[in-house]
Amino acid sequence: MLTINNLHVYYGGIHALKGVSLNVNKGEILTIIGSNGAGKSTLLNSISGFLKYKGEIIYKDQKLNFSPNKIVQMGICHVPEGRLVFANLTVEDNLLLGAYLRNDKKGIKEDLEKVYTLFPRLKERQKQLSGTLSGGEQQMLAMGRGLMSSPDIMLLDEPSLGLAPLLVQTVFDIITDIRKMGKTILLVEQNAFKALSIADRAYVLEQGKIIMEGSAKDIANNPSIKEAYLGVKK
Amino acid sequence: MTQFLQQLINGLSIGSVYALMAVGYSLVYSIMNFSNFAHGGVIMFGAYFGFFYLTLFRLPFPVALIGAALSTAILAIIIERTAYKPLRNRRAPFLYFIICAMGMSIFLENIIIALPFIGPTFRTYPEIFSKTPIKIGSLAVGRLDLLMFIISAICLGLLVYFIDFTKIGKAIQATSYNIKASALMGINTDFIIITVFALGGFFAGIAGVLFGMKYTVYPQIGVITNKSFIAAVFGGLGSLPGAVIGSVLLGIIETFTSGYISSQYRDLIAFVLLIAVLVIRPRGLMGKSNEDKA
Ligand SMILES: Nc1ncnc2c1ncn2[C@@H]1O[C@H](COP(=O)(O)OP(=O)(O)OP(=O)(O)O)[C@@H](O)[C@H]1O
Ligand SMILES: [Mg+2]
Repeated sequence: MLTINNLHVYYGGIHALKGVSLNVNKGEILTIIGSNGAGKSTLLNSISGFLKYKGEIIYKDQKLNFSPNKIVQMGICHVPEGRLVFANLTVEDNLLLGAYLRNDKKGIKEDLEKVYTLFPRLKERQKQLSGTLSGGEQQMLAMGRGLMSSPDIMLLDEPSLGLAPLLVQTVFDIITDIRKMGKTILLVEQNAFKALSIADRAYVLEQGKIIMEGSAKDIANNPSIKEAYLGVKK
Repeated sequence: MTQFLQQLINGLSIGSVYALMAVGYSLVYSIMNFSNFAHGGVIMFGAYFGFFYLTLFRLPFPVALIGAALSTAILAIIIERTAYKPLRNRRAPFLYFIICAMGMSIFLENIIIALPFIGPTFRTYPEIFSKTPIKIGSLAVGRLDLLMFIISAICLGLLVYFIDFTKIGKAIQATSYNIKASALMGINTDFIIITVFALGGFFAGIAGVLFGMKYTVYPQIGVITNKSFIAAVFGGLGSLPGAVIGSVLLGIIETFTSGYISSQYRDLIAFVLLIAVLVIRPRGLMGKSNEDKA
């Protein structure tokens, strides 16, 4: 569904992605794990049209080479690191902005209900300014807002960042639920343990390069990964 | 008491025109985080457009007013496309935007002076509304003052409706909060920027015509319109309610200064107010955060 070939990204003199290639299959949860500064966010920002890159990104047989708003229109939704909810607007306005490009009033209403079922907390707070939500609620809002664009694939950038362990579990459960709704998921995480537990396949990104790929199970059982990312001593 | 009410009415009337000007500064600031000093030039162009539409083309007043507003909306878009967009594409530091805006403002002023059929002469609008005031009890309300207030109030009402109740309005609010996140919603942020300049330009045109009718039209009118910038800072740059409240307060303070002290102190007080606000409460009355105002 999404194929990336030999992607290079530079920030001035910094070579942040050094020839990354990967593919995402329809309907799967693919996770990319990597530590701070590995280039995970850079990869997602390239897909969603914010960065200039060398190499190619192909989505549904089409080369992606558009501005961010056109990329959303093609069914790609990027839930960014740090959530970036519109703090000055209500929860419901945030969700409706997620549906900005849609004109099917009925579909939007149905999806709004779906999001509220998935995140009952958001329904309780629909009229509240989203800046007053807790971190976990903001993450839910960011994901709900992403769903409102009715995407085919969701790019999730560290959804568990800064959340209490119990909430982390909730967020990962919800990601599994979202996949069951027929969405494809590209999940970028530092919390390798959790990410690998829900993913089908995984890539390991280190200093701008993919150093390993395989089924999530295999990666989770790989001794060097265990040591580096899962905190297990050899 | 009569004099007090009289001054209050005059203050409200001029303040509401300041508000029309100030929202233009605030809208652009809220999205792009810089003070668009070219806005004063756009207001001045609005005054000239209105003047020529009325005198040269002999258009009826409402047509001339809307025509001037549309013309300045287009002018504001042209300024954005030619001066700011290239800077945005290069991700220039915001200081460049301010310098560019100041340059643009000087350019606009001088182009009027340089044009042979306009030049530096003062122009006076034809008398469209009778100078005899309307009597309300012991109060005498100038017809033009009343008109200024009504037109400004209608415009501001429409703006509030547009920003708060339309999809594009919500998108403007979202973009003002975070431009990247709004692009992730599929919002064409370039289009939002154009919209914001067009709105500011439209109201600048209306304000320019009203201002021109009240006073006279000359190329340096932008110096006076800068006071609406003060009002925007006073209210909190980037906040629309702030811009309106700041403007009305400034209008009232000005008329009271002229009425009770001396009109010579009018501008002095306005600028002292600006400095005081910047020192005591840099984000203004309703500004969103403590960002530096440049
Ligand atoms: N705007 C930028 N300008 C310059 N360098 C950048 C920029 N953004 C990222 N980098 C650099 O590129 C590299 C990859 O950054 P990136 O944000 O993609 O990492 P990440 O894997 O998402 O890390 P984290 O887990 O901390 O979010 C880092 O070395 C970072 O310092
Ligand atoms: Mg990151």
